[in-house]
Amino acid sequence: MDSFLLGLIAGSFVSIGAYSVLIGDNPLSKFTENLYMGILGGFIFATNWNYVRTSAINPVLQGNYVFIVAILLCVMLFSRLKAEWLWLSRYPVAVTVGAGLGLAIRTSVMADFLGQINATILPLTSIDNLVMIIGTVTAAAYFIFTAQTEGPYKYVNQTGRIFLLAAFGVTYGQTVSFRFELVIGRLVDMLRPEVAIYTYVMLLLVALGLGYGYYTKKIKWYSGR
Amino acid sequence: MSLMDKMLALDQRIIFALMFIALAFPILNPIILPMDIQQYSRDSFEFADSIPAGSVVLIEGGLTAATYPQGGPGLEVQIVHMLRKDVKLVFFSIGTETAAWTVTAINNALEKLPSGVAAENGVNWVHMGYVPGGESGVAAFANDIRSVKTEDHFGTPIDQIPLMSEINKASDFVAVFWWGGSEGSIPFGIRQIVTPFGVPMTGMCTTNEVPNYTPYINSGQMIGIIGGVRGSAEYEYLMGMPGLALGQAMATNFGGLLWAFLVVLGNVLYFIARREEAAK
Repeated sequence: MDSFLLGLIAGSFVSIGAYSVLIGDNPLSKFTENLYMGILGGFIFATNWNYVRTSAINPVLQGNYVFIVAILLCVMLFSRLKAEWLWLSRYPVAVTVGAGLGLAIRTSVMADFLGQINATILPLTSIDNLVMIIGTVTAAAYFIFTAQTEGPYKYVNQTGRIFLLAAFGVTYGQTVSFRFELVIGRLVDMLRPEVAIYTYVMLLLVALGLGYGYYTKKIKWYSGR
Repeated sequence: MSLMDKMLALDQRIIFALMFIALAFPILNPIILPMDIQQYSRDSFEFADSIPAGSVVLIEGGLTAATYPQGGPGLEVQIVHMLRKDVKLVFFSIGTETAAWTVTAINNALEKLPSGVAAENGVNWVHMGYVPGGESGVAAFANDIRSVKTEDHFGTPIDQIPLMSEINKASDFVAVFWWGGSEGSIPFGIRQIVTPFGVPMTGMCTTNEVPNYTPYINSGQMIGIIGGVRGSAEYEYLMGMPGLALGQAMATNFGGLLWAFLVVLGNVLYFIARREEAAK
């Protein structure tokens, strides 16, 4: 059996374990959760350590001492592991947040404000443009909480609410579709002809195991609707 | 308890089981339903197709184990598309896991390439690997690649990579393809590459994020977007390379039909129950 097929079978087993949480918390779902967190944590640590080694430690060893500051800031982050030294970790966090905010705000005005406002100033030459303008203005006006919803503003408010509900509906539909795609992505691998038999056997074993656990009250039955 | 009450109190595990059957059935028995190509996908494809040979394109690979089945087939086909046109590709990722999945996409694309197409690592493409720091990392990478990366994903020093000899900042690229998956990073590209450097960009995100990013298309800050598995399927279709994404898109249709039926049924039953309650 090659390693690729072994990986698919292991993936199928872990997916069944993860999805078994749908019928309630159980030892298998907990095992797969912890397995995932452990593997991901280890992988992220190893990749980041490799980055620090090649981008900071190696340059320092080659005489580029400015990176000592970066390494020092990295080490200071770990000071939060001891309550008395926690204050030290605030400095690297402040540097990170400050740099991130500064860089984001630098172009946010153009990218997220002016660009979007420009896109709304459209000629009234088509239904699309009209819907865009009315939708944007009324949806924004809906969030004026300091005005009483009476008089002409009442109709603006109600129109804005309709546009917002339509937008939420689209987002809901897209989210449902995304969740389907996540499941389908796994099913495609789990139901490959060379893996399907292992998937069915494991489904049966998991069903029997969980059934026994619930029947003997060793696993608490899910009490939701 | 009447049938209607039973339906309204339906155990959600029955819905899960029905959904599982609806999604698994089209995978086991492939059925192709008619499909229109969305304008956003067509725009992405046509923009990529218009890039001249010899140009260098930047690709952010942001797909994970969860989102690779959706975006991966599309990314693989786009890599094939670009390499066939002799467009050079520079990849990078802002996540640890995504950097690894980008390697998978490159390897799968190389397997799909027709013989005779140049696809040498370091010459036709290079994977610069993981760039930490989120948006700050993207900004640093866009301004001076050598300030954040000394070597590529496979450990080759950047100065030994022929493709990178004249590349060091975002303005050295003719375009950016941002395969953000579900990492929510498309605004990073807009803010740190498109706005300051004026490099045109197309995006890819999971289906649920499409409404968040379409305003960037309307404003002209992004050219097109490939949304989820359907977007990937459309790219496959436009390339004439039907693959995994097309089959998955069909399964999504079946799941969507069942879901829509359940939503309508639930609402109808709810209103009937409310009317009966009011009549009492």
